[in-house]
Amino acid sequence: MKVDVVIIGAGPAGIVSSIELAKRGLKTVVIDEYFKPGGRLLGQLYEDPNLPKENRQWNGKVIASQLIDEAVALGVTFICQTTVWKIEESFIVYITDKDIKEIHAKSIILATGALEKALPVPGWTKVGVISVGAAQTFTNLHNVKVGERILFVGIDPLSISVAIEMKNSGIDVLGMVLPTPSTLSGFKSDPKTILESLALVSNLAPNKLFRFFGKFVKGKISSITLSILKYNLIKINGIPIFLRKAVTEINGVHEVESVTIRELSTKGEIMQGKVETLVVDTVCISGGLLPLVDSTQLVNCKLVDIPEIGGIVPLHNKYLKTTVNGVYVAGNITGIEGAKVAMAQGKLAALSLLNDLQLVEQAELLEAYDLVEEARKASPILFQPDIRKGRNIMQEKWEEYCASGSVVS
Amino acid sequence: MKPVNLTNQVEVEQLKKVSFIFNGKCLTGYKGQPIAAALFANGIRTIRYCEVTGEPRGIFCGIGHCFECRATVNGIPSKRTCLTLLEEGMIVSSDKKIGSGADFYES
Repeated sequence: MKVDVVIIGAGPAGIVSSIELAKRGLKTVVIDEYFKPGGRLLGQLYEDPNLPKENRQWNGKVIASQLIDEAVALGVTFICQTTVWKIEESFIVYITDKDIKEIHAKSIILATGALEKALPVPGWTKVGVISVGAAQTFTNLHNVKVGERILFVGIDPLSISVAIEMKNSGIDVLGMVLPTPSTLSGFKSDPKTILESLALVSNLAPNKLFRFFGKFVKGKISSITLSILKYNLIKINGIPIFLRKAVTEINGVHEVESVTIRELSTKGEIMQGKVETLVVDTVCISGGLLPLVDSTQLVNCKLVDIPEIGGIVPLHNKYLKTTVNGVYVAGNITGIEGAKVAMAQGKLAALSLLNDLQLVEQAELLEAYDLVEEARKASPILFQPDIRKGRNIMQEKWEEYCASGSVVS
Repeated sequence: MKPVNLTNQVEVEQLKKVSFIFNGKCLTGYKGQPIAAALFANGIRTIRYCEVTGEPRGIFCGIGHCFECRATVNGIPSKRTCLTLLEEGMIVSSDKKIGSGADFYES
């Protein structure tokens, strides 16, 4: 198969890229490991307070299907249930499809998204312990119940929105607690940091008490605040949030039967003596997201570690060009942000590619760049509080790289 | 656990009902849903047993990354049930051994 551009990943970033490329007449194919295009958009269903009042629902499934229809109408080819296993220079992309074995392309956009960080808690391999992404996918996309009584471990914007979605689907969500403090859990077990990060989603919560805490948090948090939290229960959409409790063990012989919960000090240390057992059949673990960068190593993109944007990511310039000529990136592979930013980045990567081929004017590229910043501003959830700082660090690292003589044309 | 399908009842009902076998038991599901989703709807969450310890395993990540939900499907071992779609008459069983990986090229 011969095309102009291969896009790896059929999520919001990849699909929008394909639309922009196809509009300008480039033959584009999008490949994805999942059985249908849409990526994690498919599971998203929430209220966005930044949308107009009459229609605040963000239904990712509907948005994905509109985008896919548009792409298909423009002649974009989607190949699903396919894994890329090798990429040869300038470029031959080898895939695991039954009929199509290789795709020859002039350019590549990597839009592989993210994967979930593991957050080990004793007992986490038991049947009934699932990741927050699985919970979202099976509830909102496949419409099946993963359990009857669920406890969430890990309190963050994503797990809160999934907990709300599950409760709305009629599942008994008993609450949200922190993971056992360990070297791996890091800040996820620190009540203070978690409370601060909750401020970032406080606009999502209709609950007045939580809004109150949201305001509170934007100022300074003292240990007094946290002491109060021991007695004052925060609830978001009726779901109890226990900032001073941690799961220390998940119990069950064959499948999950209960969890052991202990109280945390204001500093996030386990307090001795107070132990409770909660009967649950499902535990949903949220350890955060990590850019999925495996594919960048098939083309030898240079990687950099920037914790502010989510970890190790391919070095790229502000127009999403990597250190390898003809390879661009878009979406969560560049750092952890929401679907709207991913869509805007999809457009930017496509226009960056088109600009390099002299198929669009510089002005259009700059406009696409501005749209990414606008999407960032309009995002209801900030997954990485210091994302802007992280983006600036990336730009600095790119400039350093160019100055070092390893110039990308 | 009760077999229940959730919110989008209409969407689910538009799908075609099919029969399949899991570990010798005849079950029903919808054509085109991931095998793991059909198992959840039948109240089944244990999909395989760890090859080393024998401990039960089921869905963890749900999107093909973790490989915890592998099963033998129509004789091919180590298929990820979160990604493999249900068809009429499928025979699914808990993996007895680790697959060779050859199934990657056969999907």
